[in-house]
Amino acid sequence: MAKKYDVIIIGAGIIGSGIARELSRYKLKIAVLDKASELPSGASRANSSMIHGGFDDKPGTVKAKFCVPGNKLWHKLKDELDIHLDECGSYVCAFTDEEKLHLEKLLAQGNANGAPGLEIISGDKLREREPNASKEIIAALWSPEAGIINNFEAVAAFIENAQTNGAELFLETLVTGLIFETNGDVKGVNTNRGIFEAPVLINAAGVHSGEISQWAGDTSFKIIPTKGEYFLLDRTTQGFIHSFMFSCPSKAGKGITVAQTAEGNLLSGPTATEQDDPEDNSTTPEGLAEVLKGARRLVPNFPVNLNITTFAGVRANTDTGDFVIKALENPRGFVNVAGIKSPGFTSAPAIAIYVADLLRENLADKIKFIPNEKFVPERRNIPRFLYSSMDERKELAKSDPAYAQIVCRCETVTEGQVIEAIRRGARTVTAVKMLTRAGTGRCQGGFCCPRVAEILSRELGVPLDAITRHGGDSKLLVGRTKEFLLNKQEARLNA
Amino acid sequence: MLNNNIDVLIIGAGPAGVAAGIGARKQGAEHVVVLERDWDLGGILQQCIHPGFGLRTFREELTGPEYMHRFIQQAHEAGVEFRTNTMVFQIDRNSNQVWTMNRERGIECLNPKAIVLTMGCRERPLGAIRIPGTRPAGIYTAGTAQRFVNMEGYMPGKRAVILGSGDIGLIMARRMIWEGAEVEGVYEVMSWPGGLRRNIAQCLDDYGIPFHLETTVTKIHGKDRLEGVTVAKVDANKAPIKSTERFVACDTLLLAIGLIPENELSRMAGVEIHQVTGGPVVNDLLQTSNPAIFAAGNVVIVYDLVDNVSDEGLIAGANAARYAAGEISGSIRRIPVKGGENVRLFSPQFVTGESDTTIFMRVTRPIEQACRVFTTPEFYTQRLRYARPGEMNEVKIKAAQVKAMPDLQEIIVDIQPV
Repeated sequence: MAKKYDVIIIGAGIIGSGIARELSRYKLKIAVLDKASELPSGASRANSSMIHGGFDDKPGTVKAKFCVPGNKLWHKLKDELDIHLDECGSYVCAFTDEEKLHLEKLLAQGNANGAPGLEIISGDKLREREPNASKEIIAALWSPEAGIINNFEAVAAFIENAQTNGAELFLETLVTGLIFETNGDVKGVNTNRGIFEAPVLINAAGVHSGEISQWAGDTSFKIIPTKGEYFLLDRTTQGFIHSFMFSCPSKAGKGITVAQTAEGNLLSGPTATEQDDPEDNSTTPEGLAEVLKGARRLVPNFPVNLNITTFAGVRANTDTGDFVIKALENPRGFVNVAGIKSPGFTSAPAIAIYVADLLRENLADKIKFIPNEKFVPERRNIPRFLYSSMDERKELAKSDPAYAQIVCRCETVTEGQVIEAIRRGARTVTAVKMLTRAGTGRCQGGFCCPRVAEILSRELGVPLDAITRHGGDSKLLVGRTKEFLLNKQEARLNA
Repeated sequence: MLNNNIDVLIIGAGPAGVAAGIGARKQGAEHVVVLERDWDLGGILQQCIHPGFGLRTFREELTGPEYMHRFIQQAHEAGVEFRTNTMVFQIDRNSNQVWTMNRERGIECLNPKAIVLTMGCRERPLGAIRIPGTRPAGIYTAGTAQRFVNMEGYMPGKRAVILGSGDIGLIMARRMIWEGAEVEGVYEVMSWPGGLRRNIAQCLDDYGIPFHLETTVTKIHGKDRLEGVTVAKVDANKAPIKSTERFVACDTLLLAIGLIPENELSRMAGVEIHQVTGGPVVNDLLQTSNPAIFAAGNVVIVYDLVDNVSDEGLIAGANAARYAAGEISGSIRRIPVKGGENVRLFSPQFVTGESDTTIFMRVTRPIEQACRVFTTPEFYTQRLRYARPGEMNEVKIKAAQVKAMPDLQEIIVDIQPV
């Protein structure tokens, strides 16, 4: 039997989950489908987590329309949804007179976009604030409203809040085809978990959004999967720099940045390598070398010896260079929210509101927009022991002894947090990691991975060797000890 | 069970911490408490179920748990109080107050008169060496895999490649074979092994496991579960040589690429950390830059043999007890120790002349000929058949020798060919 909904959203990244939350303000039956075992996956998982100031985008583009409003919304949402957002500001750094002229252009562009507080400062002024910035930098564009967000928390916050307000999330659900009414309108989707029906279908499938759009007959844009590689350094680098530092943008993109993450790590990246495979998020020697070179250009003594991991994300670049946000005339009911790359994370909350308006204006005959008076806008994060006061910690430990048991020593994550993450839907070691930060520290799970696996096994009531790293075939263990040995001996005896 | 009259508080009940407890009680400290975050005592030795421990101390080949059992019994007899499932998550640097958590006791604040840091070390993770490729399941540090196999009773994989030749990697190579898995080979980027020669012989050679020096893993393959690695020889600058790259199919990559003293708490406590050892700077009393805080074992410098760790624990515990009793005042840094040109790291870094002492060291690169380990001035000299980075060397200095030279400015330790 097909499951029936008002709206199906394909993809639970920052875009899909943001739209789900926005639509949950109405009495709509919403299904969010994602092929991953854990959220975020795809580009929302591996990116710079930058909340851009809004000076990068040419006035008149779709990007420019959403970036500044998105930035403003995040400053409000961080409290409403309990997300770590470091309102650290950003610098675009000029090394030459020519680049300095470019800063003027960005400043004018930012002013036209309505980005507040932009200012060009001297290299010396920059180094007063950022002593580790290169001495070669002669000027910088300061954007006080820029920031950096915990991207895992942001996606979790959107999707959890949408669920609180009635939306349903289906993980490990891969859309394999579209279903249409006899009149050609949208009817639903085929998935590995059966048919989901709804008159409205939102394509927020990230790097796969081009393919799904083609199924609907819209070939007006093409996704060019673009890999970005990163270094992530130990939190002991906290304060090495305090904000988000860019090079002057070139044709190739915004270039390699150096930033302090919302959690106090040092982050550098991304490269921008076009590729055919939307799923290939492997790091490469060339890419990592490029990141290191770019990082050292901005911050010559970039402490790469404190690196704890490298990673890559694949972003959904379009051949048009802009976001694709529109409701199709044919098939009716199909809405593209595609090709969202930088400043996609920044724009997400503004895009979500726009998409809700778009549906109301264009598809009111298909679904009814009755306000959900039970809508709860607030969402609380899993308690963060690391950031709690000593009194809060005592209180937590008293309320639940599991909060007096450390699981991850690098990030001071307690068993109570891990259990709460599982309660909120975590089923894999990586899902726990993204929700609690257990395993994100300098030992990269060496200490906590076996413990998290044990807690998952116990709480979910499954054997330890059924637990996966990140879903699919990523099992941590392959069986009991002595099993192979006995099997081998048996085979020998039988022979 | 009072918290307000702790004389010596010891953090970590591995070999260093248990010995420190014994040392402190034998020196006369009244209330000695050892905190342990695990549910049982023994630290990493709990999972080291292979023999080879305690040859120096007991003249017997014991397993890790057997070795620890003897010390734990001594500690119980000496009246050491142990608190398991108790984690220290903060030390305030001015007050030396120690914050702990425990399921039953909740969050507590302790005010000991002296502290001994015995948190041991941790394994270097994959990120530290930045191997390109994917991030599948099946990549573990050797110690994590050892925990899965020896303590949980699960196998991490069926066909392993081991990167790095630290001792845990060598021990795990043999363990994987014993458990019926395959080990394709051990790959070491350096020109010499990271672990003890005896482990190369007993864990690799005896089982025909190939050992490749000057070779490393250059790429990781596989989306969900590890499918293989690319390995390559490296040149003199440790850069991979492209033409030597080859694919090795495996479902498990075990890392034995080094151990790092675990000093988060030491840093919180404001203890000076040595750039090279990664552990606290200590004098021969094993006192850190914070006069009330002592440190012993792998938290200070990574040892080869647990016997040395226990010996150092006894010393640190005894001196912490003396400090608690008011017999030591201030942080004593009388004579600095310096390493000669062939010494990469050494500990302690200061000598007080108050007691006989052993200075432990490692050479920068192997000396595969007769050589001499010695001090300047010549308090100690000893001929060696060879000196290798994977095998620690030591010099012994007597308090009387130091006291006889009141104008002594420094002590140099070195190893030179003869």
